[in-house]
Amino acid sequence: MSDGDRIVIAGAGVAGLRAAERLRELGFDGELVLIGDEPRRPYHRPSVSKQLITGAARPVDMTLKSYTELDARWRLGTRATHLDTTQHVVHLPGGEELWYDGLVVATGVVPRHLPGSPRHDPRVRVLRTAEDAAAVRRALAASNKAAVVIGGGLIGCEFAASMRQMGRDVTLVGHARAPLYRFGPRIAASVTELHRQHRAGLAMNTAVRHWISTKETFGLHLTNNQLVVASCVVLAIGSVPAVDWLRGSGLTLDDGVLCEPTLFATGAEDVVVAGDVARWPNLRFDDEPRRVEHWLNAVESGRAAAENLLAGRGQARPFTPLPRAWSSLYEVRLQTIGLPALAEDTVRLADGVTGFVRAGELVGACGWDRPKAMLYWTAELDRRLPAPATTPAPARWSGPEARPAVGTAP
Amino acid sequence: MTLHRIRGGPRLSVDNDRCERFGTCEWEAPGLFELGRDGRLRYRRRVSDEDAERAAAAARCCPMQAIVVRGVPG
Repeated sequence: MSDGDRIVIAGAGVAGLRAAERLRELGFDGELVLIGDEPRRPYHRPSVSKQLITGAARPVDMTLKSYTELDARWRLGTRATHLDTTQHVVHLPGGEELWYDGLVVATGVVPRHLPGSPRHDPRVRVLRTAEDAAAVRRALAASNKAAVVIGGGLIGCEFAASMRQMGRDVTLVGHARAPLYRFGPRIAASVTELHRQHRAGLAMNTAVRHWISTKETFGLHLTNNQLVVASCVVLAIGSVPAVDWLRGSGLTLDDGVLCEPTLFATGAEDVVVAGDVARWPNLRFDDEPRRVEHWLNAVESGRAAAENLLAGRGQARPFTPLPRAWSSLYEVRLQTIGLPALAEDTVRLADGVTGFVRAGELVGACGWDRPKAMLYWTAELDRRLPAPATTPAPARWSGPEARPAVGTAP
Repeated sequence: MTLHRIRGGPRLSVDNDRCERFGTCEWEAPGLFELGRDGRLRYRRRVSDEDAERAAAAARCCPMQAIVVRGVPG
């Protein structure tokens, strides 16, 4: 963008926060408005399935710091209802219209619904927000029966581990052969063994056939004919991009917001997208647009989207990160780099390190409690899959009348 | 004279109760942080103004949000 003095950031998660921070770092001195549907400032969402569930921390302990003065207007507890890219306006509840010169879309994802599950029951929850964690804690406190989590991905596994850490019985129900099966059979076998050692129940290769709700407990009748009794049920079966408010906006919605390699949304000149909702081609791998639902990607894409918004579409640089992710399960640190989902095959790279291979090329790696080795393999993957050569350093903001950048003020 | 000069430049600290030694900080700011072969994290407690930006990057990216940077210039 080249002129104007209001940037709106829709989404007050980590991607929105880091975009705001980067805009100020680069000297943007106009008005900055952050719209967030949750009632609190950005917080460390990975803690929802860990510290906030176990009670080791309160939401306020998990508030994210900013490393520069944001001087932002916060519209918290407010959900953007519609975007009009021709009028450059974000619509808010009650008919309010918020004009912008630049827009960052960072509304993230919402947890996927499991058809047939009684979501109106307070004992059935998803796990996305601090409020979700509080609600699960209330359900746990009301009964000493086991907890059940449906879904064998990272959130499901983290929740199961948190339950065992609290001394609660837990059963993980999943349709895959093993938890974390998408990380390959080695990781899946290790995580299965880890859950067994910690006496977390696993009901894999199965799904819920019937929900039996009583006053005290839930009964889950599974397709393998097992009956599981639960005090509360957490649904952790993935998420879908939060794009409802963008319908009819002119942006291309197809599993998230379709973006150019620079995170500029296709179909608009002044809209960039960051975090889980962005579907963009990472030219380090290929030109296929994908979403990356990792916390570190939200940090990095928030900053890159801010840089590109200030640089303008013509000067914007492709966003080509090497994706990194982590999880802690019990005492084990699980880390991934690259895009393991692209792989056709896996290979053992080192003790505890699995490589993911596509067409003879390493595209990712996963470490089972091997952080030191993963530093080596991150550098190695960075070398083998170099980011395509790019161009100028991030532009500094040169406002409507080329005002001096705020960052240079004494 | 700004406050950070009086205090002697940016300072780093790591909350040991939070840190799980993923080593993300070393990737963001090699030389400021180092995950040793023994699994311990070593880091510089005082950093130069030039390194403050890398220190902030490490703090931003820390999976456990365990890094505190104080006295960043600007």
